[in-house]
Amino acid sequence: MNRTRPIIVIAIAAAAVVIAGSIAIGVTTMSRSDATTPLPTNAVKMTLPGLAAASGAPELTSIRLLHPRPGEVRQAAGPFDDRLALDGLAFDGTTVRGSLRVTSDVSAVLDLEVIAGFYDAGGAFLGIERFVYHAVHDGPTDPVTGTPVESIPFQATVPAEFAGRTASASVGVPVLVNE
Amino acid sequence: MRRRIPVLTSTTLIAALVATAVIAGTAGVASANGHTGETEGRTKNVIYLLGDGMGRTHVTAARERYYGSDGKLAMETLPSQGFISTYAVEKLSGQPGAKNFQPNPVTDSASAATAWSSGVKTYNAALGVDATGTVMPTIMELAKKAGLRTGNVSTAEVTDATPAGQMSHALARGCQGPVYSDAACQDLAITGKALPTSDIRVTPIADQIARNGTADVILGGGLGRFDAADETALKDQGYTVLGSPTSQRIATKADLASAQGQKVFGLFNRGNLTIEKAKQDNPSSVQAQEPTLPEMTSKALELLTQKGTTKDQGSSKGFYLQIEGALIDKRSHANDAAQTLGEMKAFDDAVKVAKEFAAKDGNTLVIVTADHECAGFNIIEKGTFTNAEAATPPANVDSGNTANNSSPTRPRNLVDPTRSTGIINGSGAANPKNFAPATFRIPSDPAGVVDGSPEAGLWLTYLSGNHTGADVPVYASGPGSDQVQGTIDNIALFDIVGHALRITK
Repeated sequence: MNRTRPIIVIAIAAAAVVIAGSIAIGVTTMSRSDATTPLPTNAVKMTLPGLAAASGAPELTSIRLLHPRPGEVRQAAGPFDDRLALDGLAFDGTTVRGSLRVTSDVSAVLDLEVIAGFYDAGGAFLGIERFVYHAVHDGPTDPVTGTPVESIPFQATVPAEFAGRTASASVGVPVLVNE
Repeated sequence: MRRRIPVLTSTTLIAALVATAVIAGTAGVASANGHTGETEGRTKNVIYLLGDGMGRTHVTAARERYYGSDGKLAMETLPSQGFISTYAVEKLSGQPGAKNFQPNPVTDSASAATAWSSGVKTYNAALGVDATGTVMPTIMELAKKAGLRTGNVSTAEVTDATPAGQMSHALARGCQGPVYSDAACQDLAITGKALPTSDIRVTPIADQIARNGTADVILGGGLGRFDAADETALKDQGYTVLGSPTSQRIATKADLASAQGQKVFGLFNRGNLTIEKAKQDNPSSVQAQEPTLPEMTSKALELLTQKGTTKDQGSSKGFYLQIEGALIDKRSHANDAAQTLGEMKAFDDAVKVAKEFAAKDGNTLVIVTADHECAGFNIIEKGTFTNAEAATPPANVDSGNTANNSSPTRPRNLVDPTRSTGIINGSGAANPKNFAPATFRIPSDPAGVVDGSPEAGLWLTYLSGNHTGADVPVYASGPGSDQVQGTIDNIALFDIVGHALRITK
């Protein structure tokens, strides 16, 4: 009887120690696998210090610097001139027309804004009108092949306040997004 | 009478067990507290490679073209493989399982990017917001917040959907900059009325990227989207700016090679980068000085793993790096198989760089996938033709045969000579209304067989010029890659990456 008691004590103690150790290891293992940081709500920078909020529609200062001759349509410099061509520019005294062709790699035109400038017979700047294109889906496609078209026709009419005084026009592109 | 030796033995045994338990427990605690390293038992790095528009056939065609039928692309050698479903949702839709859930079977790049970046379904054109316009944090933002280093590399403009999906929040993907416009940035169908222009969701993406510091390393195209104020903002945050947004001087391959620093911003074209085939065909051109995707990948890895000068700048916590082969999609839209294949090769070479890094590192999860399939790319048997070339679809008429006497009835399947005027990258190249396939030689073709000939072994066709709703392949290796098996949805990638890095719930 006395000989078996130490063995029982040892067995109970050993079991307790093993269980305790297992719990300790298990807890730390569990805490390691669950050591996920709650999704930080402040991970997104919702404000950008130093950035002035945009005001008004896009402008092209180059339009005010041009002085086209009567009947002429000039292209005003813009940020995307190296990736587009303006074809068939024409001005009939009331409306300036043309089409924009993307000359760089393109799969679809998503957004386009064309600013038309109007001038009097002396080449003095009068004002502007805009043509805005926004693709609802992936942009216009060829009805036969289904592939994106890379030429978008545009037109802008002389505002009523300048009617009868407008002799020439310019066009420039401040917004162009092609996928 | 007690025997002393057993008592001593038992005492020693208990002491040993106690010591063992204490040591084991302490070791566990130490590990959990990060005392054994900065990675705390998690995956240290994630390299996420995205072939824009890369469907299953894109992979097969590139394999056949460059390595032969019995070869493998680098991505195909990764051990975990499966498929990703890619559908989007309509505007104002609920998430999957919600009563107002309205799926759209075909996604665009923006919706798909938001799915894996932010873990939510959203409408086509949305970036970093859910389908109701609510801002959602991205994996790259969460990684940055957790102290990991971050990189974003693309062959597109870095304001384009895939890179922008990690480091911006926009109601409309067209709001790229350099200037704000109502049409490009607002979406009244989501917000009801125009948001103030100070709202991050209508702030041009270029302005966001230049100021939010989400990515430490930014390499790609799109210099024309950035201006002098952006350059100042970048430098104020400590970025080394290659080239110059102010002067619009593009960065070069040489600039990239010598670049150093914890934060590097380098754009190598004012628009998208130049396709590989054009650079290879014109090696003396300015565009040939652009770095390739594998070169940008190597440099990004070098920059993200270099030791910093301060504790916060070090690389010990690991990194999250996104790499996009963007032009696979853009050239698939145009149904240009030669350029599509060239971009696939460049993308797979970038995968090879990532794979080699991961093999050396030992604690990097590599995921290779796509956002959607583009253009219904397919491989047809040599000498056959597609429905697009046919006068009528395949025959289906035989009133006496119950197997094929149903409607519709079609008597024969013949080529329409006006729609099939020769191999499109060969004798039929001059006809814009030609629907014939493009052909390419494969390694097993006899010597003398050339691309664009009827004798070439690989015949490639396109279904359309737009995205399709087909599932896309996914390949992965490293810790956590076992989650990338079977068919999973693209929003699951957010949780897989987030869990691997321990940066999400």
